[in-house]
Amino acid sequence: MIFNSIEFFIFLPIVFTLFWLFGRKSAKTQNLILLVASYVFYGWWDYRFLSLIILSTIVDFIVGREIHKYQDKKHQKRWLTFSLVFNLGLLGFFKYFDFFVESFVSAFSFAGMQMEHSWTLDIVLPVGISFYTFQTLSYSLDIYRGQLKPTKSLLAFATYVAFFPQLVAGPIERASQLLPQITDLKKFRYCQAVEGLKLMLWGLFKKVAIADALAPMVDDIFQNAGIYPSTTLALGAILFGFQIYGDFSGYSDIAIGTSKLFGVELMSNFKFPYLSRNIAEFWRRWHISLSTWFRDYLYIPLGGSKAGRNKAVRNIFIIFLVSGFWHGANWTFVIWGLFHAILFLPLFYLNKNRNYLESPNLFSSTRTFFVEGFQMLSTFVLVTLGWIFFRSETLSDAVIFFKRMLFGFTHGAYLHPSGYRMVDYYVLLIGFAIFEYIIRKDERNPIGFKNRYVRFLIYLVLILLMILFYDDGVDRSFIYFQF
Amino acid sequence: MKKFIFKIGVYGILLALGMELLVRVFHLHNERPERYLDELQVEKWVPNQTGLSVTGNRKQNVGKYRINQIGFNSVYDTYIPQDDELDVALVGDSFIEGFHQDYDRSLGQKVERLLDNRVKVFEYGYAGYDLADQLHLIKTYDSIFKKIDYTVIYMRFTDDLTRDTYAVSERLSLNTPVNRILKEIKTVVYLKDVGLFDPITQTMGSLMSLIKGGAKQPTNISKPDPDKVNAKRLENFKRLVAEYGFDKDKNILLLDARLCSEEFLDYLKKNGFKTLDFSKAFEASKTPTDLNYDQHWNDHGRELLAQLIADYVKSKM
Repeated sequence: MIFNSIEFFIFLPIVFTLFWLFGRKSAKTQNLILLVASYVFYGWWDYRFLSLIILSTIVDFIVGREIHKYQDKKHQKRWLTFSLVFNLGLLGFFKYFDFFVESFVSAFSFAGMQMEHSWTLDIVLPVGISFYTFQTLSYSLDIYRGQLKPTKSLLAFATYVAFFPQLVAGPIERASQLLPQITDLKKFRYCQAVEGLKLMLWGLFKKVAIADALAPMVDDIFQNAGIYPSTTLALGAILFGFQIYGDFSGYSDIAIGTSKLFGVELMSNFKFPYLSRNIAEFWRRWHISLSTWFRDYLYIPLGGSKAGRNKAVRNIFIIFLVSGFWHGANWTFVIWGLFHAILFLPLFYLNKNRNYLESPNLFSSTRTFFVEGFQMLSTFVLVTLGWIFFRSETLSDAVIFFKRMLFGFTHGAYLHPSGYRMVDYYVLLIGFAIFEYIIRKDERNPIGFKNRYVRFLIYLVLILLMILFYDDGVDRSFIYFQF
Repeated sequence: MKKFIFKIGVYGILLALGMELLVRVFHLHNERPERYLDELQVEKWVPNQTGLSVTGNRKQNVGKYRINQIGFNSVYDTYIPQDDELDVALVGDSFIEGFHQDYDRSLGQKVERLLDNRVKVFEYGYAGYDLADQLHLIKTYDSIFKKIDYTVIYMRFTDDLTRDTYAVSERLSLNTPVNRILKEIKTVVYLKDVGLFDPITQTMGSLMSLIKGGAKQPTNISKPDPDKVNAKRLENFKRLVAEYGFDKDKNILLLDARLCSEEFLDYLKKNGFKTLDFSKAFEASKTPTDLNYDQHWNDHGRELLAQLIADYVKSKM
């Protein structure tokens, strides 16, 4: 089931009603309703893969208890290793098995040795596996580090793992943040629920009017990169930048908004990343739940930036490469990670990676307008170049794209594959960028204007824009489901 | 909680009203005229209706239509062929009907202009007409058509030969009282046209079949043999011509030979059917002949067709 489907619009009010009707006085009942709803939500896609979630839940529930039970580090380590092997093994098998086999065979072919093989399994990637395995891992890791006590309730833990708003594409929650909320009795708060609905509307707008509307153009340009002129390829890369942002941040907003309806707060996943003034700031604003996960569970344990310059550089490369690889079993993602590591490195050396912790304010002075405006634009261009690796099917596709776009300037007007006016989309994106700038202070309350008439007008305009840019021929699933 | 639900209801109503206002102010909805079946069992539009035909979410295509007293989209109020002048009839589906263009820029009007208004062109276009509808219309309105000098019948081989006899179509069943009321809510008309209701109807359909126990879909739907399909189309053509008559001197088939089978074209040639094939003119055109969004002929496409028809009529003058 996906958020932008009719099924979800039927499913959500039913779960909401049952939850608040029968679960007002008991956290257990609340969790039972949420768990059943979550399994239905996931099973709607493929009920067979529910067994993986259940297995992962049981394993980490036991591991958590065992780690806590033994004070002896050796025992604890053994149980933690078991959890790591199990979860990463699950991920490795379903997500990376075919990739490793193919890369191995390619490496042999490259060395001049031909290998006939039938080892790839064409395994279907279970939706959300990268997200919930990281979430269960964080539980075991937090207990091991003494930051969390294991829960006694399997029901609460299962609900934490399978909580449907963020099950298939995050935000990847830490047990220490989400589990206490799940365990406690959730209370209905009017303001929280209203904020949730506003976030859902905003997320849906980003998905329908931005991501889905741009998808046919992006697909067309990337599939025909060998034909289109360089300006069209640049346009394709920019449009993909907006598409993936609309798609993923839209999903996250709907997830956070939906959770609010059940009295649960999820962490922010995006904080207007295209308003960043350098790459380091971009990574503090883009897919925050993943980058902080890698920071806390990989970068810092490896020594972080305090282990000396050389080790810090190594650690930076490791987290960016792993982060790229996390996205999928394809060298394009690895190169994308490497590209960002290279962009990040100069900032690290110049000690500028902690600059710009506050929101930008372009209009504070003329100098700020030009300097920060230029920084934002150049960061956007660099990120957009990175997206070319991310979106291309293969590395050679990416190379062709870059070659044609950067060398040998050619220009030609681009026509929408379905013949729609292109100017509509340009106006939409400019308006969207301006609106994002206006609301930049609080990503959790995008329609937080004080005047109720202004708010109402914005609701109306967002709904109208969604209809104006609705494309019934588009695959409406979310991009991050494939990760 | 009560306040929350109450406010959702209030905002829902206000937003629906606001949407209705915006849709009407920007005229995003399509004004589809009323259909009816006349006393001679010919399906057409209710006479004397005017409006704007709008297609696309963002009004990608807009055309003014004017349904005349006969029930077809035209600049003429009525069709009275004169004995002392040359009259041409254009019969066809939505391509001839031309809701995708302003009625005064129709194919018929272009033909008249190319012939310096020495010829009158009467248009009998109705969306969804196939050859059975067209031949039934010509036969039923025989008193008019026998006074017309040339009748150009637009026929798409792939779509218009699916049946071998005329029967009243199911399109008229759309004229239910509920549908008529819903048509007054412009937001509903608009949302339906842009396909936003499709997922709802599909979901409802699957839910219904699930409740009923799930009617099993045949797993192996084999693709029909194209030769057999084409043979059937030719057979239907022969039967329709035999049943409703076809004046080979006056009637000309306007067609795109690229869509027709070789056997069909051979049959037409051998049996003396006059044809106007526009495939070559369209292929040779350096600019597009179809509307980007709407997929009907664009102004340039209609120019090419008008030239073809005008040349034919001129050769007979």
